[in-house]
Amino acid sequence: MLLKGKNAVITGCLKGIGRSTLDAFSKNGANVWACCQEKTDEFESHITQLQNDNGVWIKPLYFDFLDESELKTAVKQIHRDKLAIDALINIAGITKDSLFQMVSMSDMKRIFEVNLFAQILFSQYITKMMLKNRSGSIVFISSISGLDGNIGQLSYSSSKAAIVGAIKTLSAELGPQGIRVNAVAPGVIDTEMTKGVSGGSLEKLIGSSALKKIGHPSEIANANLFLASDLASYITGQIIRVDGGIR
Amino acid sequence: MNNSNLLQDMNAVITGANRGIGREVVKLFAQHGANIWACARSENEEYENFLSECSEVHNVEIFPVYFDLSDKDQIRAGIKEIMSTRRPVDICVNNAGITYNALFQMSTLEKMHEVFEVNFFSQMLISQYIVKLMLRQKRGSIINISSTAGLDGNSGRSIYGASKAAIICASKAMAEELGESGIRVNSIAPGITQTDMLTSMSDEMIDLTSQETHLKRVGNPSEIAGACLFLASPLAEYITGQVIRVDGGLG
Repeated sequence: MLLKGKNAVITGCLKGIGRSTLDAFSKNGANVWACCQEKTDEFESHITQLQNDNGVWIKPLYFDFLDESELKTAVKQIHRDKLAIDALINIAGITKDSLFQMVSMSDMKRIFEVNLFAQILFSQYITKMMLKNRSGSIVFISSISGLDGNIGQLSYSSSKAAIVGAIKTLSAELGPQGIRVNAVAPGVIDTEMTKGVSGGSLEKLIGSSALKKIGHPSEIANANLFLASDLASYITGQIIRVDGGIR
Repeated sequence: MNNSNLLQDMNAVITGANRGIGREVVKLFAQHGANIWACARSENEEYENFLSECSEVHNVEIFPVYFDLSDKDQIRAGIKEIMSTRRPVDICVNNAGITYNALFQMSTLEKMHEVFEVNFFSQMLISQYIVKLMLRQKRGSIINISSTAGLDGNSGRSIYGASKAAIICASKAMAEELGESGIRVNSIAPGITQTDMLTSMSDEMIDLTSQETHLKRVGNPSEIAGACLFLASPLAEYITGQVIRVDGGLG
């Protein structure tokens, strides 16, 4: 129970890494405001199950990250609960792969809108609430492609590299206030996002990794769990690669 | 996974277990259900009392093992003792180390040899033996304690820093070599941490350095232990070849 009695905000909870993070946090005793883009019956029954199994509460918040007024409404709902926020895990993200010369500006801007600007805006609001307690942990999801680059991922990798700059600056700004800011950089993870990548580049990456296997969303969730927990109380401004050892 | 006992039924070798970071690793690992070979240089009563108390409170087995890291034969004898228990080794935390503060021009060759003997060669030798055991079950996690001095370079720490940089490089190569056999190898780079090693720094220097961190404070040995626990546990199953800085945000 690494997060017993803590309250966390997690974005992108519907699928993949976000869903796994929601699961790991609930199992470890955290209460969660679970942010998703859409409401589904499957998700609703999943959170009911999680609450029953783990004796925690989960409040779903459905909103479009690209809609500033919807985002503000969600923030207000969280604010209205008047509870301390111990962790914010920014997971919601999108990608669209294409070669440099084929990248459309509108796609690129949309990717930055979701992967960077919306996350920063949302974090501004949540941090304001964290500052009241002068403690908290914020985790962003970067990517090894934001650190190493990857053919066909100009927009995505640039947006994930921007996260690296952001967490280092936020760590320096918020550290004195007791708020830690870190990022996890996943390698090739078995999610819908990587299923869309074609051309054998992922197989090549996996082959070049030390562990020679694809990662699971739960393995990223566990790194998020660690960074949110008190086990990481002296870790800030770091990027933790969870990639099976890719060079 | 229920994460209250992250190391349930696992067996860990911890070096430098008598003081500072090593002692906190023993406490935390025991708390999370690991059986431990607690390696230290020399026998002493206070240490053995600490170990038996830890073992009782957390209901795990803890065996003290004594050897001097600058003595190959003693290391071998210590490893034999570990092997004689006929248990698999799941975790190895190479934590023992010595510090050496001296300006580059003042560093002596004799001291360089001593620092590398303890901080690097002995750790490599221990890891060779432990890996041999880990290969039997094709599973294991090795954690080498490096230092931010080995990543950034600090004035007065050229030799110490170099020994800690060597550890990082070796860890990465080991991760690549051993990954397919299910053995993960990572390093932790503590920043300024409240241990005996700090006594070599003036209070003024400690203050100055802690103000350089984002968190504006010195780290506690238990916070380095927290990162060890994570890397040793199944939570880090997909993490290998990494260096994790536990430094409160330095620079």
